[in-house]
Amino acid sequence: MVTGLFIAAIVVYAGASVGFLVARSRAAEWITRVGVDLLLIGAGLQMIGFVSRAIASGNMPVTNFWQTVSFLAWVTAVASLVLILRFRMAIIGAFVAPLVTLASAAAAIAAPRPRLSIPPSLRSAWLPVHVTLACGGFAMFVLAATVSLAYLICERRLKAKRPLEASADRTPSLEKLDRVNYRLLLWGFVMLSLAIVTGAIWADAAWGHFWSWEPPETWSLIIWMMYAALLESRLTAGWRGRRIAALTIVGFTVLVGSFVGVSLIAPGKHGGSFG
Amino acid sequence: MEQVLFTIGVNHRTAAVALRERIAYGDAEIAAALERLRAAIPAVAEAALISTCNRLEVIGLSASRNAPTAEIIQFIARDRQVPPESFAALCYHFEARAAVRHLFRVGASLDSMVVGEPQILGQLKLAYAQAVAARSAGPVLHRAFHRAFGAAKLVRKATLIGHGAVSVSSAAVALASRIFDSLEDKTVMLLGAGQMAELAARHLRRAGVKSMLITSRSFEHAVALARTLDGTAVPFDGYKPYLKLADVVIGSLAVSRPVLDAAECQTIVRERHYRPMFLIDLGVPRNFDERINLIANLYLYDIDDLGAVAEKSLEQREREAQKAEEIIELETDTFMRWLEGLDLVPAIKEIRSSIEQIRCDELTRHQGWLAALDREERERIESLTRGLANKLLHRVLSALRSPAVGSADQLRAADLARRLLCNQAIGREALEDGSLIDDDETV
Repeated sequence: MVTGLFIAAIVVYAGASVGFLVARSRAAEWITRVGVDLLLIGAGLQMIGFVSRAIASGNMPVTNFWQTVSFLAWVTAVASLVLILRFRMAIIGAFVAPLVTLASAAAAIAAPRPRLSIPPSLRSAWLPVHVTLACGGFAMFVLAATVSLAYLICERRLKAKRPLEASADRTPSLEKLDRVNYRLLLWGFVMLSLAIVTGAIWADAAWGHFWSWEPPETWSLIIWMMYAALLESRLTAGWRGRRIAALTIVGFTVLVGSFVGVSLIAPGKHGGSFG
Repeated sequence: MEQVLFTIGVNHRTAAVALRERIAYGDAEIAAALERLRAAIPAVAEAALISTCNRLEVIGLSASRNAPTAEIIQFIARDRQVPPESFAALCYHFEARAAVRHLFRVGASLDSMVVGEPQILGQLKLAYAQAVAARSAGPVLHRAFHRAFGAAKLVRKATLIGHGAVSVSSAAVALASRIFDSLEDKTVMLLGAGQMAELAARHLRRAGVKSMLITSRSFEHAVALARTLDGTAVPFDGYKPYLKLADVVIGSLAVSRPVLDAAECQTIVRERHYRPMFLIDLGVPRNFDERINLIANLYLYDIDDLGAVAEKSLEQREREAQKAEEIIELETDTFMRWLEGLDLVPAIKEIRSSIEQIRCDELTRHQGWLAALDREERERIESLTRGLANKLLHRVLSALRSPAVGSADQLRAADLARRLLCNQAIGREALEDGSLIDDDETV
C-alpha cells in the first residue's frame, strides 16, 4: 500500500516531467498547467506515503540513505511548487521535475528494506528539526542550481542574439532569475547553518560532544563555507549574473557529490543519512 | 427566396493610402452612410460598413439571389466622390462562403497589414455596433459578426498570432524586458536625438521607464527632445560619466568610429557592480564597438540584430497564420451549415431513416406472398416502394427548405415533420392499423 503510493508518485512525477519538457518546446500554457498539477499530485501522494511510514515506524522515515533521498525529492518538489506558483518560475519545472522523478525512482528501486526504528540514543525531538532543516537547505540549493541553469540558457541566447521566441514570453527576465537565485542561496545558507547548529546540539545530547570531525560533519562544514563564499562574493564584490549562476551550479555538484559520497562510503555515526 | 451574403471593398493590398484616406468614413458618419446605402439600393436586406485606415468594406445580405455588387460600388464612388471606374477596378468582392471566410479572416487579423495586430477586432466590433445602431443588421449579420468575434478569440487563444515584437522599437522593448524584470526603476540614456531613437524611447517610456537622459551634439536638440520625452538633457562634452547610471543606452549618433569601446564598458560595468546593461545601437555606422557584447552582463544589439528579432517574430506569425487559417475554415463551415439550414441535418436524417424503416417493415410484413413472386417482379415491387418513399421524403424536405434560412419557421417545420414522421409512440401504432398511411401524401 505504502510502496504503491510511492510508485504512483513516481509515475505522476514522470508525467509532470514530460509535461514541462513538452511545454518548453511547444509553448502551450495548458501543458505547463498540467505539469504543475501533476507535480502537485505527485507531492501529495508522496506526502501520504511518508506520513503512513512515519505512523508505522513511530519516527520520521529518514533512517537510511535512500529514504533520505526520497524525502529530499519531496521537499524539493514542494519548494519548486512554491517557486513556480508564487514566483511564476514555471521555467524550472523542466529541470526540477525530472530530478525529482529520478531521485524518487532511484530511492524506490535501490531502497533496502526500510529499517523501521532508530537507536534509542538518537530518538529525540531534534531529529525532525535537524533533518527538515538540512533537507530544506538542500532543496534550496537544488532550486538555486536549476534557476541558475535557466539563467545561463537565457543569457546565452540573448548574447547570441537568438532570444527565445515569443512563445516563451513568460520566461522570467535575467534580473529576476538572478534575484531569485540569490534569495534561494540565502535561504539555503540559513537553513544549512541552523541544521549544523541543531545537529551539534543533538550530538551533544546523544553522544556527549558537539563535534567529532566525522566525514558528514566535516563535509557539511566545507559545504557551508563554500556557500558562505558564494554569498560573500555577491554581497561585497557585487558579482552577479553569469558568474554567480555558474558557481551555483558548481557548488551544487559538489554538494550532491559529497552527499552521495559521504553517505555511501563513510557515513560515520550518521546512520547512513547526511544532508 | 434565396439570399446571399456578400462583401465588397478595398484594403491596403488593393488600394493606395491616397485613395483609402479619401474614401474612409469617420465613426460618426457610418450610421448615416448605411441608411443612405439601404435607401439607394433596396436589394440590400442587411448591411454593415467597416472603415479603418487599411480597409473600407460593405458586408451585407442581398434580398435576392444576386449580390448588388455594381450598385454598391457605384454608391460608394458617388458617396465619396471618387471616379467609379477606377474605384471599381480596385474592389474585391466575395459572395456566400467566401464572404463569410473573408469576414472571419479580417476579424482574426489575418488580412491585416501586420498579421496578428490586435486593433482590427475592436474596429470590427465598432462597425457592428454602428450597423446595429443604424438598424441595418439583421439575423444573418448578427450571427455572422458574433461568429467572427468568436473565431477571432479562438484564433488568439489557440495560436501565437499576436505574439512577438514585429518592429525594431518593439523588439528593443521586448529584449529589455528579457533582461530587466521591471523597467520602472530603470534609466534610459539616448546618445543622439534621432527619430529612431526617439521612437524606441517612446516605446520604452510606454513600457514603464520613468527616468531618461538625453544627450546630443546639438544641446538644443537634446533639450527639445528631453522636453517631449520628459527627460533630462546632458551636455555632449561630458556625457560619459552618466553612462554608468543608464541601464539602457540607445546610440544613434552620426559618427565615423564607435564612441564607446570594450575597455570603457568594462569599467562602467564594474562601477555598476555588474548590474546588467542593455546597449541598443541604432547608428549606421555603428556607435558601439561590437566586442562590447563579449563582456558579461552587457548586451549589445545593433539595428540589424533588432531587425532580425522582428523578422523572426513576423515569420512566427506567418507560421501561426497557417494554423489560424485552418481554424477559420472550420468556423466558416459551421457558420455556413447554419446559414444553409444544414443544421436541419439531424432532423432530415431521422426522417429519412424513419421512412426507410416503414418501407422495410412493410416489405417484411408481406414477405410471405412476395417470396412467391419471381425475382424480376420482386425487384419491381422493391423499386416501387423505394420510389414512393423518395417522393414522400422529397416533399417533406422541400417543404422544410422553403422558409427563410435559419428562421424560426424553418425550425418549427422541422420539429413538426419529425414529430409526425418519427415519433415512435404514435407512429408505430398508427401505422400498424394503417390509419395514417393515407394521410402521408398530404404532409
